Amino acid sequence: MNRVKTFKSILWAITGLAVAFGTVRMFWGLGAVSNLSDTTPWGIWKGLNVVPGIALAGGGFVVTAIIYIMRRTEFQRYTRITVLLAFLGYITAATALVAELGLPWMVWHPIIYWQHHSALFEISWCVILYLTVLFLEFIPVPLEHTGWLSSIRRFLTKYKLVLVFLGVMISTLHQSSLGTLFLITPEKLHGLWYSSLLPILFFISAVAVGPLMLILAVLVISALYRQPLETDKLAKLGGASAIVLAIFGAIRLIDLLASGKMGSAFDGSWQAIVFLIEFSVGVIIPVVIMSIGRLRRSPAGLWTATSLAVIGLGLHRANCAGIMLVRTGPIYFPTIYEITISLGILSAAIIVFLYCVERFKMWEMPWEDAQEKPAALPQFDRASEVWLGTPRIAGRTVYSLVFVIALAVGVVAISTDRIESAGVRDATVIPARGGDTLFVDGNLDGYGVIFAHEEHVKREGGNQSCVRCHHMNLPLDKNTECAACHRNMYSGADVFRHDWHASPNGGNLACGQCHDQDLERTAATATTCDECHKDMVPVDTRIAIEQYIAPSYADAMHGVCIECHRQKALELVEKEDLGRCAACHTIDAPQYLPENVYHMFRDTSFNHVVMPPITDANSRKEEAY
Amino acid sequence: MKAILTDITKCIGCFECVAACKAAHGLPNDVPREWHRNDGLSAQNWTSIVSKPGSHYIRKQCRHCLEPACVSACPVAALVRTDTGAVIYEPSKCIGCRYCMIACPFGIPRYDWEKAVPYIQKCDMCYDRIIQGKQPACIEACPTQATIFGDRDEMLAEAHRRIKEEPDKYLDRVFGEKELGGLSVLYIGDIDLEFLSYPARSNTPVLPKTTTTAMNAVPPAFVGMGAVMGGLYWFCKRREKVQAETKKDEGAQ
Repeated sequence: MNRVKTFKSILWAITGLAVAFGTVRMFWGLGAVSNLSDTTPWGIWKGLNVVPGIALAGGGFVVTAIIYIMRRTEFQRYTRITVLLAFLGYITAATALVAELGLPWMVWHPIIYWQHHSALFEISWCVILYLTVLFLEFIPVPLEHTGWLSSIRRFLTKYKLVLVFLGVMISTLHQSSLGTLFLITPEKLHGLWYSSLLPILFFISAVAVGPLMLILAVLVISALYRQPLETDKLAKLGGASAIVLAIFGAIRLIDLLASGKMGSAFDGSWQAIVFLIEFSVGVIIPVVIMSIGRLRRSPAGLWTATSLAVIGLGLHRANCAGIMLVRTGPIYFPTIYEITISLGILSAAIIVFLYCVERFKMWEMPWEDAQEKPAALPQFDRASEVWLGTPRIAGRTVYSLVFVIALAVGVVAISTDRIESAGVRDATVIPARGGDTLFVDGNLDGYGVIFAHEEHVKREGGNQSCVRCHHMNLPLDKNTECAACHRNMYSGADVFRHDWHASPNGGNLACGQCHDQDLERTAATATTCDECHKDMVPVDTRIAIEQYIAPSYADAMHGVCIECHRQKALELVEKEDLGRCAACHTIDAPQYLPENVYHMFRDTSFNHVVMPPITDANSRKEEAY
Repeated sequence: MKAILTDITKCIGCFECVAACKAAHGLPNDVPREWHRNDGLSAQNWTSIVSKPGSHYIRKQCRHCLEPACVSACPVAALVRTDTGAVIYEPSKCIGCRYCMIACPFGIPRYDWEKAVPYIQKCDMCYDRIIQGKQPACIEACPTQATIFGDRDEMLAEAHRRIKEEPDKYLDRVFGEKELGGLSVLYIGDIDLEFLSYPARSNTPVLPKTTTTAMNAVPPAFVGMGAVMGGLYWFCKRREKVQAETKKDEGAQ
C-alpha cells in the first residue's frame, strides 16, 4: 500500500470505531460512553471539535475576503480549498455538537424558539446560515465535475461576491459570540482566561489562525500527494496572519496587565504553566518564525509555525470551554469512547476532504506524475490487452474492509457492563456490626441505619422468627451474612454456583437433572432454585425469591424493612411516622440506644451518626462541600 | 413574587423535605452514579440536605434567581422565570445543550446522563402547586418550619425581624437578599453560607448582564462589518482601476 492508502485506511478504521461507539451513545445515552458529569457538563466534543473547530474553519471567510474583497487575486487558486476546509470544519463542528446534544433530534429548535439574550441562540442561527452560505459557495465545484445544473452553477459563480460578503458578516458574529458564551461564567472561568474582551479576542484569533490552518492543509496535501509548493505565496499569507496573531497576543497581554491579573501567570500553579505554554506555543513562537523571512519561506518553518499556532489556538479554546472552569468534583478525563468519537468525526471529514482533493478540480496545480494521481482511472491498453494503472476498486476494497472490521471491533470493544449499569459506583458491601444493636452501613460511607436487632427479634416472636427476615440461608447455615449474597450496594449479584451443584462433593447432580435435554442449556431454561430448595424458602418469610440474582444490598434492605414498616404505620395509629424515610435514616443517634452503642457510633464533633474513622469515607464526605 | 426562607438554625436534618419532593414530582430512587456531584443533588434529587460540623443542616435547592443566568443562557427559552418567582423548565423545548449547567453559578441543574432521552432536572418551586395557591411540597413537609414560603418582601421582612430579635444567634446577613441581583431562596443562620455557591467575589456582576453588551453589539457588528467590507471593496477596486489607468498612461507615453 502506498502512503495515501495507508493514511486513508487509518482514517477509515477510526471512523468505523467511532460509528460503533456513536451508535451506542445514541441508544444508551451519554452516560454509557462518556465521562461527562454534573460537574463537567461539556467535554472533549465541545472542547476539541466544536469550539476550536469553528475557529480553525475561520479561514473560509478570511481568505475569501482577502481574495474577493481586498482583490488580492494572486491567492485565487486557494479559494476552493479554503471554502472546502471551512465547509467541512463547520460540518465537523455541527456533527460533534449533535453527538453532544442530549436531544439531537431537537437541534432545529432554535429556529422556532427564539431567545435573543443567549449567545448560543445567536451561534446556532449563524452556524445554520453560514453552513448554507458555504454550501452555496462550494457546490459549483462538484457540479462542474458532473456537469449537472449548469445554470445554477453559473448563477452561484456570478454572484459569488454576495456570498463572500454574507460569509464575512455572519462569521464576525458567531466567531465573537463563541467568546460571549463564556462571559456568563466570571466566577467559574480562571482569571487568566476570563476577560470582558473574550468576544473580541475570539474573533481576532480566528482571523489570525484561519489562514494558518489553510496553509497547514496545503502543506499536508502537498506532502501526501507530492505536489509542488508555492512557498512564497504561502509565506505572504502566513506573514499577514502572523501580524494579526501578534495583535491578538498584544491585546491579551494588555488586557491582563490592565486588569492586574498578569501576576497570576507566574505564580507557578498548573493553570499558570498551561497559560505560559499556550501563549508561547500559540502566539510567540509562530510570530517569531513568521517574522523571519528566511524561515517563513522554508517549508519547515511554515510547518512548525502553522501547526504550533493551530495547536495553541485549540488549547486556548479548550481552556475557555472547559479545562479552566472551576472544578467542584473529580477531574474529568474523556473515556476512550469519547476520544474515538471525537477523532472519528475529524477522520470522516478528512476522508471527504481528500476525496474532493482527488476527484474535483480544487486548484489548478498539476499533479507531478499523472500516474500518481489517485483518482486516475486505469486505462485499457489495446495493444497489450492489459489495464494500465492501479484499479480504483482496490482502494475501495481496502477501505470498506478496514471500516467493517473497525465497526465490528468497536461493537465488541464497548463493554456491556458500561451500557447496562452505566455509572453506578461499584460498592462492596460489608456485614452490619454492633451486636444487639446493629449498625447497617453496607458501603462504609459513614451514613447508615441503626437497627435494633434484639428489639425486632422480641417483637417478631423470639428465636422462631429468624426466617421472617432471613431467608434462603446456605445449607446447614443459620447466620450467613446478608452481604455474602447481596454483594454490591447498588447492583444485583448472581448467587448461583454452578460448580457446587455439579461437583461430586457438592450437589453431585447430572446435567439432565436441571437442564432439559431438548432445550439449550442456559440459565433461562434450567430448573429454578425454588423447585428444589423448597426448605430454604421458609413458609413464614416475608421475602419472595424469584430468581438466582440477588438484588442489590440497598434494595434488599429496603425490601425487608419498608413494606413491614408501612403496614405497621397503618396499623399502629400512634406510630404513623414509621413508614417515613427519616424513621430509620435518622441524623442524630436515637436516644433509646444502649449507652455503649451510642458512644460507639456517635462522634462528638459531628454530633450525628458516623462510624469510627474510616479515611476513605471521610475524605469522600469532605469533597462534597 | 414568592420566595422561600430557610432558617438553618431550625433545621434538624430529618430529610422530610427530600422525601416530600420526591413524592410530589414522582422522582425515582437514586443510586450513586459516577457523574453525581457529591452534594446530594442529582437528577433524582431536586433538594438535599448538606450537613456541616456542629449539627448544622443546610437545605440545598435551586435558588430561583431574580436574574437567572440559566434563563439568559438557554438558547431555546426552555428555562423561564415566571411571575411567581419560580424558574421553571419546559422539557418539550429543550435541545440538551447543557449551557444552563455551565452558566448556573450554584451548579444546580443536573442531567439524566443514563437515559437515551435525557432532560435537565431541577427544582421548580412546585410551580403547579403554587399557582393553585398551595405551598411547595418541601415547605409543607417540614416539621419544624425551618423552611417557609410566602411573598418575597414578607420573607425578607421576617428574616430581618428574626435577626433583629436575636442578634447573638444569627449572622447579620440574609443570604440571597442582594447576591447576583437577588435570589428567591433566602437563608439566614448562624454560620457562613458562602460554600453554597462558588467563591463569591465582591465584584461579582449580575450574570445575565455580563453578556448583554456583547449581545447588543450583534446587530451593529453585522451591519458595521458589512459597511467596512463594502468600503474596503470599493477602495481596492478603485485602486486597481487607478493602477490600470496609470499603466495605460505610461504605455501611451
